[in-house]
Amino acid sequence: MNSKERVLAVLNHQKPDRMPCFTANSTVTYDQMEKVGAYWPEGHDQAEPMAKQAMAAYTILGFDVVRAPFDQMTEAEALGAKVKSGGEKGIPGAAEPPVYTIDDIPPKELPADYLSRARIPELLKAITIMKKELGDEVLIEAGIIGPFSIAAYLLGVTKTLKASLKAPDKLLPFLEISEKAGTALAHALIDAGADIIANEDMTASPDIIMPKSYHDLVYQFQAKQFEEINVPTILHICGDVGSIIEWEGKSGPDILSLEPATDLKLAREIVGPKPIFMGGADAAKVLFMKTPDEVKAACREQVEAGIQILAPGCAVAPGTPTENLIAMVEVAKSYTS
Amino acid sequence: MKFLSDFSNIFKRYDLDTEVKKQEARKISDDPVLDAIGKFVVEGEAEDIEAPVKKALETKAPMDVINDGLVKGMNEVSRLWDEGVYFLPQVILAADAMNAGIALCEAKMGKAMDRKGKVVTHTAEGDIHDIGQVIANALLNAGGFEVINLGCDCPVDTVVATVKAEKPIMVTGTALMTTTMTAFPKICHQLEAAGIVIPFISGGGAVAEEWSTSFPLSIWGKEDGWSCGLAEDALAGMGWEDMRSKWNG
Ligand code: B12
Ligand SMILES: [Zn+2]
Repeated sequence: MNSKERVLAVLNHQKPDRMPCFTANSTVTYDQMEKVGAYWPEGHDQAEPMAKQAMAAYTILGFDVVRAPFDQMTEAEALGAKVKSGGEKGIPGAAEPPVYTIDDIPPKELPADYLSRARIPELLKAITIMKKELGDEVLIEAGIIGPFSIAAYLLGVTKTLKASLKAPDKLLPFLEISEKAGTALAHALIDAGADIIANEDMTASPDIIMPKSYHDLVYQFQAKQFEEINVPTILHICGDVGSIIEWEGKSGPDILSLEPATDLKLAREIVGPKPIFMGGADAAKVLFMKTPDEVKAACREQVEAGIQILAPGCAVAPGTPTENLIAMVEVAKSYTS
Repeated sequence: MKFLSDFSNIFKRYDLDTEVKKQEARKISDDPVLDAIGKFVVEGEAEDIEAPVKKALETKAPMDVINDGLVKGMNEVSRLWDEGVYFLPQVILAADAMNAGIALCEAKMGKAMDRKGKVVTHTAEGDIHDIGQVIANALLNAGGFEVINLGCDCPVDTVVATVKAEKPIMVTGTALMTTTMTAFPKICHQLEAAGIVIPFISGGGAVAEEWSTSFPLSIWGKEDGWSCGLAEDALAGMGWEDMRSKWNG
């Protein structure tokens, strides 16, 4: 099987020749940038270098899917949020002050030119390049940001956290427009060539908000979003998601991307057989900091506990050694059927 | 909305009802007004807290209102956070309520309350993950320290310059990214080179104990709950090496 067939088999709940290895999050590292001759900051806002860096996951590491973009500001920036460049080494982030206060009412509909705003056109072009170059052998994944995280970029995280408790009703219109922004971007990404959509909603983690807030505020928008996306989907929420996984599962993604902090056996009992579990070594504490042997041990432990697609637990830290990422692929190769 | 229909049980099943959690808060004071103040801190009610604080100030010294009402409430919040009952939003709101109360007490005193010592806090340059710092600020503030809050994405030079100008007893850093934590040894080396020997607390999810203790001045800050204990040691004049052997393994 080639990578594409392998991943399709897993998505269709059939037996692959071996376990696939890919991720819901960014895969780019400094070392891969050197190897493909494409760098940051260009990789964050120009189609060519972005595509090159994304494709390195397949050409250099041997991952089974390639994925862009690498930061989380795409939708928020197109909705007016100011972005601070991360320079050559870092990742673009939100600049102060946020666009809105909690007493503002955001627009109900997306601006007519939403898809031609900020970095969206270059991202779409990058996906098309990736599809053209690798589409026969590899599935193309594109990332959108979950509604709660976009809303937090529009309002500022601390303000959003306060509102989650004291003024949840005021958050709703922000979540509504954020959901629309992610869904519209997903549709454009699919038109541009994306086969899989990954939804990252870091700020909705139970490390950050109450599980009750996830249920009351986030769940309904995620469910609506997944219903409107007609390709395979991944939901990634950071941290130990045991307290919200039932609702993550019910929101309807095909794949749940989990960090090792989550108890996989318990998670499986809660969500039932359908969602495919993706996960593996902790991105920061193991992949970035430890040796290939330790990476392998950590990955095997997760596979034994129920992981079906091997992956870094979260976004790959850009300083991660290439041999650690390749060690992960080697573990995946060792699980044949 | 169709997908919300079958969830009537979630609160009971996961024990997520905040009403249930509130009951776990302990009584703050036998004095009903101070107890109300403490309760509003625990509940994070920055507006509702004003009336009982004003009432308490009619009969009590401002510093007593701070120590026996506001700070006691915040201590209860720390306990609930340490025990995993409270989540970040509650702690942030409680800090707001406490600060609103302190502001009223300070207005009555006609001056800022006396603080035990200054602590400079920051989140590393290039890093916007400031929640750990926000919590540390709240706890230090409640512990009676003056917090000089440099916020997130704070350049190395700003930290060093602020320490030179403010002469704090301790500096803290929060870094959640492997790309940003490298700022900490830079700060410590620059401070050392300038002859400033004070404890630097390396905090944030990216930093591990082994790394945090690999450069001078630095002590690993495992959890926010350590903030006041560390600051008390610094205040008592304990050097960074002794603090490191006390707090780190
Ligand atoms: C919430 C979150 C966000 C929020 C941040 C909101 C905010 N204002 O802070 C948002 C969505 C904005 C965000 C953005 C990004 N994030 Co983020 N995010 C997280 C997440 C889910 C939780 C972090 C958190 O706040 N935890 C809770 C706080 C309380 O923990 P903490 O700060 O570590 O504090 C504890 C201790 O360290 C200690 N402590 C901290 N400070 C201090 C100080 C003192 C004095 C003491 C004593 C103790 C102490 O006490 C606390 C416990 O009690 C983590 C994953 C995870 N589960 O950890 C990823 C994570 C931190 N993010 C990550 C990444 C990569 C990003 C992005 C680059 C994503 C992207 N691809 O665009 C951007 C960053 C942009 C930028 N330039 O900074 C990575 C970092 C990887 C790495 N190690 O290099 C993580 C680890 C996820 C991963 N890949 O594994 N993120
Ligand atoms: Zn994550």
